[in-house]
Amino acid sequence: MSGAIIAMPNSRHFVAIAASLCAALLAGCAGAVVQPWEKGLLARPDMAFEPDRLETGLAEHVYASKEAAQGGAGAGASGCGCN
Amino acid sequence: MAATESAGDGLSTPAGRILAAALALPLAVPVLAQGVPDRATLSLRVLDYQDRQPGADRVRVKAPALALAMPLAGPWSLGASVVSDAISGASPAYHTRGLSRLSDERNAADVTLTRAFDDATLSVGAAGSHESDYDSAALSLQGTWSSDDRNTTWAGGLAASRDRVNPVTAVVQGARKRVLDVHLGLTRVLSATSVWQVNLGLNRARGYLSDPYKVFDVRPSQRDALRLLVRGNHHLRDGGQTVRWSWRMYRDDWKVRAHTLGLEFVQPIAAQWSVTPALRLHSQDRARFYVEVDPEAAPFVTQPPPGAAYSSLDQRLSAFGAVTAGIKLTWQPDPEWTLDVKFERYAQRGRWHWRGEGSTGLAAFDARTWQFGVARRF
Repeated sequence: MSGAIIAMPNSRHFVAIAASLCAALLAGCAGAVVQPWEKGLLARPDMAFEPDRLETGLAEHVYASKEAAQGGAGAGASGCGCN
Repeated sequence: MAATESAGDGLSTPAGRILAAALALPLAVPVLAQGVPDRATLSLRVLDYQDRQPGADRVRVKAPALALAMPLAGPWSLGASVVSDAISGASPAYHTRGLSRLSDERNAADVTLTRAFDDATLSVGAAGSHESDYDSAALSLQGTWSSDDRNTTWAGGLAASRDRVNPVTAVVQGARKRVLDVHLGLTRVLSATSVWQVNLGLNRARGYLSDPYKVFDVRPSQRDALRLLVRGNHHLRDGGQTVRWSWRMYRDDWKVRAHTLGLEFVQPIAAQWSVTPALRLHSQDRARFYVEVDPEAAPFVTQPPPGAAYSSLDQRLSAFGAVTAGIKLTWQPDPEWTLDVKFERYAQRGRWHWRGEGSTGLAAFDARTWQFGVARRF
């Protein structure tokens, strides 16, 4: 599926930004190893990226029906004929 | 993660944090407070949505939704949800004019089965929805892999859907639409209080992509889109607040380019209560075949340019900026129950486009949303 998408204008810049961000995250924080016993705060529900699956799903559905840009962190939801 | 669910909370003490971490360790949840659940959670959420333009209410949606996440035998777990949208009101036939009545019901369901391994998870999912004029079915495969220290998690997913469109206007019958979506993600623990995530998504749609209820709506039969979502969560030790931010870049070969910024601030206000104000800013360029309003054509419909292969007068493909402001109140009377209420106001204007190049001649568009949620853990 990459052919048409990579041919999209400036899409290489887009992918390059993503790769740079990943590299920065991996390299820039390589020395900052967080130990398991230090992860209590990270395990809080409000530190989850999607604390409530239903809330996220309903909100994304509303925005997808009112705006041209769609999609977030995942994939797999069914479509709709929202008009 | 019962010990980590009490917002009120023993986590502010060193002993509490160590206990929470210890209880989190046996789970195959490397860096997120999500993934394979150790307990079952049943959630009910009701959405009430109403949008409007000056002088007219437009679409109203009432949607009760139910979700279940539960561990199964051994390393297996299950997630499932159902939602029923009751849709009524009016939708414009072109730009923000020609409002025509609509009424429909959309029923959707999805199920995901997850297998946990030592350093990875693998999920398969299925989803489907039915409306009187639209059916959709989707399959997905997703996986995660974590580093030995559980500070880095890679994620990848693939989903495919097949939709069928049967509008009551019979403009088309049994028109097909196929969508393939691929995403890659990296989640990285930056410190004991910060975690970041980068997601790259590719979406490829083929088939009937027009809106059969709008006039002069002839869209290309393919659409390829890229999206980049960067987000981070940070917990403030002193006050117990959590800041969540996100930035999404989107572009497709219809020349829609969009940026979306999100910010949420979880503020504990009492032992069992928290309040979360939220702000979302969105700006998008017009699709290359969007037909701007011609003031001289009013009150009649603007004609597409002569000889244009594609055209759309759909407000959603125009250039605009949008702002959402919301607030959520959460009450957790005990570790098993969580109740919340959320209110949001949404406003969309051409003049709010981030470079000042928004579409003109469209009526202001506003919406409000209420959500009520209750969750019970077993």
